[in-house]
Amino acid sequence: MLVTWRYRKRKSLIQSFDPRAWIIFYACFLASSLFFWDLRFLTPLLIIALVVIFTSGIGWHEMYRAWLFIGGFIVFFSLLTFLTGRGGMELYTEEHLITSLSTPFTIFGWRPTLNITVERTFYALSQLVRVFSIASMTILIPYSLNPAHYGVTFHGLGLPDKIAYAMDLTMRFIPTFGRDFQLTLDAQRARGYEIEKLRGGLIAQVRKLAPLIVPVTIHAIVGSEDIIDAMDLRAFGIGPRTWLEQLHYRRRDYVLMALAALLLAVSVIVSLLGYGRLWTPEWALRPFGF
Amino acid sequence: MDRKLLSVIIALVAVLVLFLLVVWIGGTINESLKLDETALLRFVFVGLGLLIVFVVYWLTRSSGAWDVGTREVVYMAIGAALYAVFSYLFNGTVFAVPSVSQVALRPAIAIPMFFGYAFGPTVGFFTGAVGNMFGDALTGFGLSPQWSVGNGLIGMIAGMVALFADKKRSMNMVLIISLVLAAIATALYFLNPTLANMLYFAPGEGIFGDQAITLFAGLSAVIGLVLVVIVRFAFGKNVDVAAAVTWSMLGNFIGLGFAAISDIWINGYTPAVAIVGEFLPAAGPNLIFAAILVPILVAAYTAAQRQAGR
Repeated sequence: MLVTWRYRKRKSLIQSFDPRAWIIFYACFLASSLFFWDLRFLTPLLIIALVVIFTSGIGWHEMYRAWLFIGGFIVFFSLLTFLTGRGGMELYTEEHLITSLSTPFTIFGWRPTLNITVERTFYALSQLVRVFSIASMTILIPYSLNPAHYGVTFHGLGLPDKIAYAMDLTMRFIPTFGRDFQLTLDAQRARGYEIEKLRGGLIAQVRKLAPLIVPVTIHAIVGSEDIIDAMDLRAFGIGPRTWLEQLHYRRRDYVLMALAALLLAVSVIVSLLGYGRLWTPEWALRPFGF
Repeated sequence: MDRKLLSVIIALVAVLVLFLLVVWIGGTINESLKLDETALLRFVFVGLGLLIVFVVYWLTRSSGAWDVGTREVVYMAIGAALYAVFSYLFNGTVFAVPSVSQVALRPAIAIPMFFGYAFGPTVGFFTGAVGNMFGDALTGFGLSPQWSVGNGLIGMIAGMVALFADKKRSMNMVLIISLVLAAIATALYFLNPTLANMLYFAPGEGIFGDQAITLFAGLSAVIGLVLVVIVRFAFGKNVDVAAAVTWSMLGNFIGLGFAAISDIWINGYTPAVAIVGEFLPAAGPNLIFAAILVPILVAAYTAAQRQAGR
């Protein structure tokens, strides 16, 4: 049995557009965010994301789990970035030290030290804004895109029938397999399996993951026979496919697509001009004597 | 000329012209332009990866291995969805599965390998590329399109065994190529043993990419290769299992090699950092999953097929 995303029809900004236009806007938004590490350029993208979130019509009770997971994930990794400076070394070559915190003890002669620098701070902030914008725009899609429109949307974006239908099925299968995985995990736990306490060497640990991965995978393949039969009985792939519902662009969709193209073009041009790299403002350096 | 080939060539030329125009215009308005500081190169490498896929397809298009029917469409979707779900679950945040000497457990990679081998290169490519894309989206990791193409190549190459009439002979060729690739990568590790492992993170210990690669992670490509060879000869009579692990190994080397090497231009890494810091810690452990999980999946699938009589 297929499990679906929690889509329902709402009065919202996203759903007022053709799904193809929205996917194009989303893709341009995503690509644009890749060009920037500068907070001044990431903030407008964050504002767009916030407008979309607050006009999505999706209640807190409907997706608080998703927000908690993504929020926790983003905050955790941004904090880790702030503490370790991971990834930032590709973006800055010089660091201005604000303070250095050392533990009062040593471990085999090594004293754990935490260096807090202006660059690390702004890099972590930029990462927080960037990842939050991308993640929030992404998780709204399954809540706002009608599952009946998946196939026709991808087809309308220029994908061949078969690939469009494969994308349609992929989006439908994801929540189903998530549920199957949870059922399998519960069943194995009832038999004494503990994924949190895998013991033994590397090979033994990998082998012990098989009781989770193999049943879910084989069950999915065996269960797909019904879907294949149903599609074959409807002569899938014999000729050009028709879709039950048709999508039609309206003026607002053209405006949205034009805005998306403009956003991407401006991002590319600004990036080529040399702007958008990690920004550490003068006012942040001054109080520390730099 | 074939219409399909013509349209692909026109599309590729259009993309190339557009990129050259962007570089030319960018260079005119900004003399100090460094392309690796923009995100443009990521999309160039996506185009390059897709070009590789197209060339391989075009050279072997007469083979039935590339055919896409109803069954393949459904398997593509199942493979991509499973890969996305497993990537999301085993990315270190939902299930904090332990790691051994900087080798984190990422069992999801067995999915594109198995689907590629069992259902052909098209299914394998779709499973790896689309599954990785959805997996990143579910986690909120953002977008690394060149790594999605690299994952797609893993599945596609695992499925290319179907292009060969004699699986056993193809395995020997694949073993030799893989041996050469593993030897080059491991030699680079011995020349640069102090480089950081760019992919390793242990949030509990506050470690992410700033620790020198361990000896175990540095040798993981060789260890994985040895494991694959053991499986290949231990299952000498079961050609399916032997071929699945052997071709998965080559797919893993080439797919991740493509993604890691692209970071030389995209992130400005040196070749040594790309190979030792990125390729080895990703490709080596994947071989261990290939050697263990792929045979189990192949055996389970064969049993299910036998039972269903299909």
